[in-house]
Amino acid sequence: MQYMLLIYDEEATWGGMSEDERNGVMREYFQFTEELRSAGKFVAGDALQPLSTAKSVRLRDGEIATTDGPFAETKEALGGYYLVDVDSEAEALEWAAKIPSARFGTIEVRPVVVYPVEASA
Amino acid sequence: MKVLALIYGDESAWESLSDEDRQGVYARYRAFGEQADGKVANGAEIAPTSAATTVRVRDGETQVTDGPAVELDEPLGGFYLLEVGSLDEAAEVAAHIPGAASGAVELRAASEEEAP
Repeated sequence: MQYMLLIYDEEATWGGMSEDERNGVMREYFQFTEELRSAGKFVAGDALQPLSTAKSVRLRDGEIATTDGPFAETKEALGGYYLVDVDSEAEALEWAAKIPSARFGTIEVRPVVVYPVEASA
Repeated sequence: MKVLALIYGDESAWESLSDEDRQGVYARYRAFGEQADGKVANGAEIAPTSAATTVRVRDGETQVTDGPAVELDEPLGGFYLLEVGSLDEAAEVAAHIPGAASGAVELRAASEEEAP
């Protein structure tokens, strides 16, 4: 079964780190991703570009409305994600706790409904 | 470039739909998937926030709580991972996601690096 592990943190937390600290966290991320891959649990995962680059799209009365910025302004914001294929929710939670940002942010674990919005690709 | 399209919408509106209406929405999603073929690398419906769990590690202790990280009137209900040439192209594709007509789709470009 698949789970989305959504990584929420404050962009200011990253901004407040020294370059050494930031590089240390990035190394931990590469190690975590490697561990996830070698365990055969990795489906997808990305760090997201800063919120300042976000766009929100709505369709109302046939008109496309595109606005700059995220859909909701929140203290902690989505900064990255992993899509994992695991055997149980307990396992999803174990992986979530190993994500470096779990120490200073919040990981939201959401089960995926594979059918019927399954992508065609 | 890879762009994550996050679909936000009202869960109670979705849950109050009749089976038939829900099938209609799924049919529109399938049609979108066919239309956007080649630009969709991945995607899925995400189970309601009642099934969400949050995980934090503080002072070496893992804290697990029920519910989403952020409470929203229109929470995250699904996503597509788009493979497109630009964020503007992503916006054009995203406008055809059925959820854009009822809720909103947030576009977040992925970093060039491999994973978070």
